[in-house]
Amino acid sequence: MTSTIDKLLAILRRDLLTAVRHRSGFVVTLVGVFMELAAFYFLSRAIGPSFHPGGIEYFPFLLVGTGLYTFFVMSAQSFLSSVQEAQQTGTLEVLMTTSTAPAELIVLSSISAFARNLANLLIYIFAGVAVFRASIQANFLSCALVLLFSLAIALSLGIAAATLQVALQKGAALLWLLSSGLWLLSGTMFPIQSLPRPLEFLARLVPLSYAIDGMRRALLEGQSPAAMSKTLAILAAFALVLLPLALVVLSLSLRRARQNGTLSYY
Amino acid sequence: MDSVVFESVRKIFLHRPALFNWLGRERSGETVALKDVSFSTVRAEVLALLGPNGSGKTTTLKLISTVLLPDGGSVRVGGYDTRHNAGGVRRQVGIAIATERSFFPRLSARENLDFFATLDDVPRRERRQRTAEVLTDTGLDEQADTLVVKFSSGMYQRLGIARALVKRPSVLLLDEPTRSMDAATTAHFWATIRALAGQQTTILLATHNFAEAIAVADRLLLLHRGELLADRPIKTGESASALRSFYFRITGEIDEAALKV
Repeated sequence: MTSTIDKLLAILRRDLLTAVRHRSGFVVTLVGVFMELAAFYFLSRAIGPSFHPGGIEYFPFLLVGTGLYTFFVMSAQSFLSSVQEAQQTGTLEVLMTTSTAPAELIVLSSISAFARNLANLLIYIFAGVAVFRASIQANFLSCALVLLFSLAIALSLGIAAATLQVALQKGAALLWLLSSGLWLLSGTMFPIQSLPRPLEFLARLVPLSYAIDGMRRALLEGQSPAAMSKTLAILAAFALVLLPLALVVLSLSLRRARQNGTLSYY
Repeated sequence: MDSVVFESVRKIFLHRPALFNWLGRERSGETVALKDVSFSTVRAEVLALLGPNGSGKTTTLKLISTVLLPDGGSVRVGGYDTRHNAGGVRRQVGIAIATERSFFPRLSARENLDFFATLDDVPRRERRQRTAEVLTDTGLDEQADTLVVKFSSGMYQRLGIARALVKRPSVLLLDEPTRSMDAATTAHFWATIRALAGQQTTILLATHNFAEAIAVADRLLLLHRGELLADRPIKTGESASALRSFYFRITGEIDEAALKV
């Protein structure tokens, strides 16, 4: 039997080969990263040095917020696109006839999509620090823990979008709704404390707001895991609830699609 | 033990029109794709599924491969029920479906096969050799390292068959396998099918081609509007034209080509 690691490596290789053979894709991504960073850099300069949300300089504040937001949304988006493409070409049906369990296949595929966007996130943060001189004071253990829990939560989001795509062919609609809502409620551009009370309450139910807050404290303020234990516990709780829930709902929707004959509908 | 067992299988597809159906004319209701179909195959048998478009041939293959689940009755492969142990079924079944472009376009033929072989639990040490074997069997050695985005319809079809073979399934499902193939490749493919049956592979082949059914099959299943109208062996020395006559007589369809003669 082939191990799950072997299968994950095969999926990572497939996605890497596909990415490098779309030669212009890499260049476009890199140019996009620098354009976006430049826009945020000049935005923070235009606003002026006196604006310190949560005691943090505005450019590093934006760097972490937009970096993590983009990681969440683009990962889910790229995973959803691969599911849609597989539906359109008929590859999804064939994949579902292999010896690999469908749910395992979807999870491994989503890990690959998220790994690619994790690399983009690291390039984004590195470029922000190296080129645009964002000041950081990283506690690497805290950063790793926030990233680990964020990854699990983001995987759940991607799997939820794929589930809706398989069940109702409306994954993109969910993603659009979520990305708009997250942009407002996650503290990407401004602290959630600036929101009116009802919206601030809603923002506290959004996992991404804890991920962004946690990463700012870990990367920009160098807080230890002990100092940010509450945030880490909340992120862990979200991950522990959302990931299994997403997997169960995905399994049910795949079974329903096989029953109704709608696996390849798009 | 029987390889594949269909017991009173029923499959219905529902048509659920959009919310504002008055804007268009989407049909509602249901299509009965299979009506209480029963048959079984023994190991190493080659079955030809004949029938017009919409008769239920592809649905039958999809039910065996677990892409679809039955609404009534049961489908078993090697003793495993597709509803309760789909994993056990999938390990035994290889399918080449009619959808041409079900590959990763920016991977070569070899890379695609290696990828699917990994998902099909082909041991790592055997993958390279098996991939090379099936590329040769399907006449794709020269295109092995070509990106499949550059493939013609016939090449896609051959690659689909190679993909189904790479896991060495005990049950092989083929949906119109020679539709886009040239004559020489088709003849080679028919020989491959007989050789596979000789190696104890059970094969179900959906086709519209009477010559193909005669050339490769041991038995014939004739489907029409979801019903199994005939289940009989292919007679020794039976000709394609005799099978054609049988087909039109049983289905009640009109053979316009015969009328012109």
